Amino acid sequence: MFRRWVVISNAGSGSRIEFDSETRAAIATRSRAYARDHLVHLLVLGALAIYPAVYHVLTNGGDATGMVALLPRVETMVAVLYFGLFAMSFDFISGYTGYLSFGHAAFYGTGAYFVVLVANGKVPLLAPETPFVCLLVLAGVLAAVLALGIGAFSFRLTGVYFAMITLGFAQVLYVFMRDWEYLGANPRDGIAVTGLADGFRIGVPGVDSLSVAIGQLAGEPIDLFGSTLGASTVSYYAVGMVVVICYLAMQRIIHSPFGRVMIAIRENEARARAIGYNTFYYKLGTFSISAFFAGVAGGLFAGFRRSVTPENGYYFLVTGDALLASIIGGFGTLAGPLYGRLFDEGLREFLSKSGSGGGLLVFLRDSLGQPAMETALIGGMTVGELVETFLNGHAPLYVGIVFVLFVLYVPNGMVGTVRNRLGGSCAKQLPAWLSDRLTAIVAAIRERVSAVRHRR
Amino acid sequence: MIEQGVLLYTDALASFFTPEALVSVLFDGLAKASLYVMIASGLTLVFGLMGVLNFAHGSLTMFGAYLGGLVLVLIVGGSPTDPVALGGFFLAVVVVFGALGLLGGVLEWGLIRPIYDRPPLYQILLTFGLALILDELARIVVSFYGIQPIASWQAALSTKPAILGRTYDLGPTSLPGLELFQIGFGLLTVGFIWAFLTQTRYGLYVRAGSQDAEMARALGINVRRVFTVIFALGTGLAGLAGLLLAWDQAWGASVPLAAETLLPAFVVVIIGGLGTVRGTVVASVLVGMVDAITTWWFNEAITFTGLPEMFLFLILVIVLALKPQGLYGVSEVGGH
Amino acid sequence: MSLLTVRDIHTYYGESHILEGVSLSVDRGEVVALVGRNGVGKTTTLRSILQLSPPRSGRVTFDGSELTGLDTHAVAQAGIGWIPEDRRIFDQLTVAENLRVALPPSTETADGLSVAYETFPALQEHQDRDGGDLSGGQQQMLAVARGLIGDNELLLIDEPSEGLAPLIVERVGRALARAAESSTILLVEQNLGLALDLADRFYVLDTGKIVDSGSTAGLSADSDRFRRYVSA
Repeated sequence: MFRRWVVISNAGSGSRIEFDSETRAAIATRSRAYARDHLVHLLVLGALAIYPAVYHVLTNGGDATGMVALLPRVETMVAVLYFGLFAMSFDFISGYTGYLSFGHAAFYGTGAYFVVLVANGKVPLLAPETPFVCLLVLAGVLAAVLALGIGAFSFRLTGVYFAMITLGFAQVLYVFMRDWEYLGANPRDGIAVTGLADGFRIGVPGVDSLSVAIGQLAGEPIDLFGSTLGASTVSYYAVGMVVVICYLAMQRIIHSPFGRVMIAIRENEARARAIGYNTFYYKLGTFSISAFFAGVAGGLFAGFRRSVTPENGYYFLVTGDALLASIIGGFGTLAGPLYGRLFDEGLREFLSKSGSGGGLLVFLRDSLGQPAMETALIGGMTVGELVETFLNGHAPLYVGIVFVLFVLYVPNGMVGTVRNRLGGSCAKQLPAWLSDRLTAIVAAIRERVSAVRHRR
Repeated sequence: MIEQGVLLYTDALASFFTPEALVSVLFDGLAKASLYVMIASGLTLVFGLMGVLNFAHGSLTMFGAYLGGLVLVLIVGGSPTDPVALGGFFLAVVVVFGALGLLGGVLEWGLIRPIYDRPPLYQILLTFGLALILDELARIVVSFYGIQPIASWQAALSTKPAILGRTYDLGPTSLPGLELFQIGFGLLTVGFIWAFLTQTRYGLYVRAGSQDAEMARALGINVRRVFTVIFALGTGLAGLAGLLLAWDQAWGASVPLAAETLLPAFVVVIIGGLGTVRGTVVASVLVGMVDAITTWWFNEAITFTGLPEMFLFLILVIVLALKPQGLYGVSEVGGH
Repeated sequence: MSLLTVRDIHTYYGESHILEGVSLSVDRGEVVALVGRNGVGKTTTLRSILQLSPPRSGRVTFDGSELTGLDTHAVAQAGIGWIPEDRRIFDQLTVAENLRVALPPSTETADGLSVAYETFPALQEHQDRDGGDLSGGQQQMLAVARGLIGDNELLLIDEPSEGLAPLIVERVGRALARAAESSTILLVEQNLGLALDLADRFYVLDTGKIVDSGSTAGLSADSDRFRRYVSA
């Protein structure tokens, strides 16, 4: 952005450093446009920022069972954030260049394992006490380097073959990390942080007063303005801050000339090559950047959960979950996968027992009461048994159904569909759309009012 | 320590190159190759014709394993005579193939057909969602009947006839009867698919449609119906693979079987070159042999548990790095 | 009544408007040539008739029944054959198999193939080779033969002489002339000499519209009527 202003001033007034009035006007217009572009970002940030408070208020009211059932817990929201970041990094390569990175879990798992292994003193040259923020960056760098290696082989391939060779690499790592005895006593069950009692801290490295510890148990509550923020809430804000920074970084890249080449590769790679771009290096660069953020996401995951297993780090279904979130949220929209993950996690928690804070099952048990639950239905099966059979821990069934419905009827996902309706990216079009609506409503009201006045 | 290791490996190397070891590894490899052909052939047919990489394929194998096991348990019962067990098995072949084929046909007709005009990615995504649904349905049903969905369901093992339970002397070594049975079943299946594709009119339509669906349509072939038939055939074959696993101690029906068979099936189909039956057969033998060899080494010398599985994916990576379209691949398949 | 009637069809590829209201008709037993420069929509017209690129509006009727909205295979089964521009041989099927695909299921295979082999003896020689291994001229013969044996009332033939050696053009031309005796043909052809030899009538297509039509009687390839629309 800055460079463009300078260019404008050069064009307008030679080499003078002061901006002339024309340029100042241009700057003003541009910054207004910039603010408008980011209005939606601010709204979303605001909504995310007040969520813990909203959750607290709504679930502590008089009759709050419904709300407890419906709203995802703050702990769940932390998971939505870090996994959402992973899903966004998946979308960054897959949705924008069209190369389906089906082994993306390799980078997430690497980030997560790296953090836990450093904390357990298993990584040479790195002390367990290394500041977490540095670990996050290193986890990202490690994943990015790994991506350079994998990508150097894989980007000679296209389409399904590309998806499958990346899957192959990820699965090799999965098997390796599952069975490598160096990692811990029983690598199949995963590894947990054992070498470090304190929580991982996010903030300025080494300054305790400017950083906070995250984790469900290892995190620390904070007193702020007379009220106490619980450990989960503190983690939510800390993790959220990292995720937002990463999102903005990816968003900048996509809107840069580099990002335009990424999209050109998706739309017509042969043409991008014909114009003179060495697409191989662009793809490799994109892959490596996306792996960096996947590694950071994995690091956040391990930092919050303080453990990781081969199944929730490296397995191909981890990538599958990112794909799910991307499709539901909107493929090639960057922010979409975060909302997709929110939808996915929200649904899972709502429908399955795993969200012990609430969920439909608990809600039905509480609100239907014993007699209703014991009512016999067809074949002597009671309502209770039916509910237990179909709702107890079977969220993937419903997630699968919703996913299939999305593929069939909402193929562009949530953000993509809104975007198509508005005819441009949400951040750009939504404010205009809203203000149009608002103006229309205001005009209608005025008309009403004046009509009423006239009649009098 | 190091010297001991070197000694151990040279010892293992010496015993690997004995006739007994080589013959048993060879047959072990062929038996595994048969299993790989079974789990991958349906996937290959569907991909070759329709360009759809079916993520629900493993789930259908898992359905086949449960259904086949159920049929065996119901019909054959425990400790049967050999003819009863084998007769029951072939009845199960008919039941599983029919039921799964019907299910596959319905799924294709109801869910995949409406979105053929979209890019192939959406059809692949749809089968991915389908896999989630099918796996979870299996979990619900199986747990409803009090069976642990994660662990393999061993009830069908007791229906294995005695002639497959014993070993047979063959030259320098002896071979388990089940392995020979698996090899025979795999050969039969490959023969059946080959005959269908090359000797029947419908097979001709399938091959024409998989090379150039548009031209095939312009010659009067109802390619969409061919799709449905091939999808049904593919899921039927997936089901048969599950049935064949029902007597194998190492596998058995379980919900995770879906993912456990899906990934090897992908590997075999991809390194064979997507969609060619010949490639799939060759790839199955390659993967089966490497699996048998690495399993032998794991049993004899190397303590790394994941060795065979890791090699499965290493072969995928190496073959694709050397031949970006698999062994017999062409740059474009399917197309509609 | 015309065997084939195309009335005011509009066809798009994505957002680009290719056919802007094409109308034409072909009577039973006729050979009609559709001529025009590259890229004016000749091939698209054939594809629209076959419903491979279904028109967004307008109608196509064949032998009195509506084709618009049908699946391509149903159009083909109604008796329309297609000999496409780029031959579209099934590379991995043998020559004999390529022909067998085109035979209606009721036909005896041997009889059906013998018709093709009589017309193009070279095909019989190579009947067990893969289609992809044939030379360009042999592939064109195979494509023409595949169209001829399909028991079709109407043949849509796209650029049969394109890129062929003169000797083979002549042989293909003879085969088409023989086919013209027994079936109706809509022929897209750049080679005006060949087109006028075969055709009874012609239509000239220019940027998605029919701009001229008439009888070929007495017209030669260098006629002024063509010079404007068909580049030499």
